[in-house]
Amino acid sequence: MNNFVELLAAWALFHESADEGWKAAVARGRAQTPGAMKDGPDAFVEGLAALVDEEKERLKQRLAEESTTPEKGTPSESAERLEQLGFEIAELRGQVESLQASIDGIADQLQR
Amino acid sequence: MASQTNCSVDIPAGRGRRILAQAAAGLLRTLWHCRFGLVDAQRRRKIVGQQARRFCEAMGPSFIKLGQLASVRPDVFAPETVFELERLQDRIAPVSTRVIREAITRQLGADPDRVFADFDDEPLAAASVAQVHRARLRQAYRPVRGAVLPAGTWVAVKVLRPGIDSIIAADLAIARRWAQRLSRFRRLARWGPIELVDEFADMLGRELDLRNEGRTADRFGHDFKDDPQVRVPRIIWRHSTSRILVSEFVEGWRLNELGAAERAGIDARRLAIHGADVFMRQVLVLGYFHADLHPANLFVTPEGQLCFLDFGIVGTTTAAQQEAIAQVLAGLVYGDAARALRYSRKLGLEIPETQVEPIRAKIEQLVHTHLLAPATADVRGFALGFLSTLTDFRVRIPAGYGLLIKALVTVEGVSHAIYPDLDLMEAAQPFATRLIAAQLMRPERLRERVAAARSAAMEALLA
Repeated sequence: MNNFVELLAAWALFHESADEGWKAAVARGRAQTPGAMKDGPDAFVEGLAALVDEEKERLKQRLAEESTTPEKGTPSESAERLEQLGFEIAELRGQVESLQASIDGIADQLQR
Repeated sequence: MASQTNCSVDIPAGRGRRILAQAAAGLLRTLWHCRFGLVDAQRRRKIVGQQARRFCEAMGPSFIKLGQLASVRPDVFAPETVFELERLQDRIAPVSTRVIREAITRQLGADPDRVFADFDDEPLAAASVAQVHRARLRQAYRPVRGAVLPAGTWVAVKVLRPGIDSIIAADLAIARRWAQRLSRFRRLARWGPIELVDEFADMLGRELDLRNEGRTADRFGHDFKDDPQVRVPRIIWRHSTSRILVSEFVEGWRLNELGAAERAGIDARRLAIHGADVFMRQVLVLGYFHADLHPANLFVTPEGQLCFLDFGIVGTTTAAQQEAIAQVLAGLVYGDAARALRYSRKLGLEIPETQVEPIRAKIEQLVHTHLLAPATADVRGFALGFLSTLTDFRVRIPAGYGLLIKALVTVEGVSHAIYPDLDLMEAAQPFATRLIAAQLMRPERLRERVAAARSAAMEALLA
């Protein structure tokens, strides 16, 4: 039993250290000046960590928005599909209008 | 007056001789400036480019258009020629307004004064194949996207020069005849002169049907609808045909008119970076890109938007190419020449194994000289050096690859016109990193890597 608890404690410690290391890398990455990412592998990893953290915050925000408005997911997809369909129909309308303009021109030529 | 026919195309008398005479004069000038071949290869190619540009300008609209199309084809022509042809002056004397009015009447079946509430007889621009006038809508119009354009809205009316298609068809017929003659010589036949003329004829044919340009503009505008900094004039299809394209009139500054006063009113640095970002989104996400960006085709509006015009030449990328391009970009941005070269080969660059190392070394040198130099990066210098290296090593450049490199150089030019001090490589670093990270995080890529990662973990545990 003791071994098992010790194993879990080691596991928790490992995660805690990794988390602290990660947070420190993000902080150092955020403090970088533009172009500093090419100053070596450590600088690159820290810059990357800051970028990943930014993306994580965006993901968190998006998930939070989705969870507060549960019905939003499907209707927004439908709205997007509807918009796409609307655009394709409008494209077709444009082509028909252009054909109509050409036919008007030809008809006028024939009448002359 | 027509004297000959070739595949039912009327060729004006003496046109072939005039072209031949001009070409011969150009050849003599080239030989003289090249000191009859004594100057080095790079300088020689530059002189050939200069003479080719002068030849196109002297021979009129169809050759100017051919030159413009050639300027986005480093896969066919030497890089120095391509970069020189980019400077072609596409400004010629306007056609008389009477002729333009007649063309509109013939196309739309009504006089411009009946079609539009106002029609400005003074042309806004006159180029080799088309002329643009300003007009106002007589009635409100609902475009393919966005809000209804009310009556009285200013529009730009682009009209193909009357007779331009027969001029181009005649010149192409002459070019085809010469291509047939040239292809009898084995040394010249490997360049595929007939196929080249046919390809150019196809490209020109697409450009001469203005509806293609209109459709691409609508698609582009739709794909960037969520980006408030991108503006694409909407098309008024009711008054557009294959020879007339009517679009929203957008006011703004051409990039070469952008002075300190104009820059002061907008966030120029942000807009310049955004411009590069928009291009990357086209290439790496949407799968098509505006391949003819030059100062006349891009505006900055007083609201700080980038306005894209003239979608005559469009390049495309497949999903596999997008992934490889992202890796090439990352390789260049972080100075990893081997990676850039490895993924360039995936894009169709055929480099024999024996030449990989010398080319990699040369690219590494170019990357450090032009892209990672302490001063501002010089993408143009890098591209010219890179394409010259491939030419020197006789490596065939795939069409899409060449077009992309040319487009990247243009993006640098555009970004610098907006904000001269921008270091494009530095600006591209976060973008390239995000892109690679996003690619690695794709479920299919993760699945691919899981097995290898599991084996590596087991080995580490059992060791």
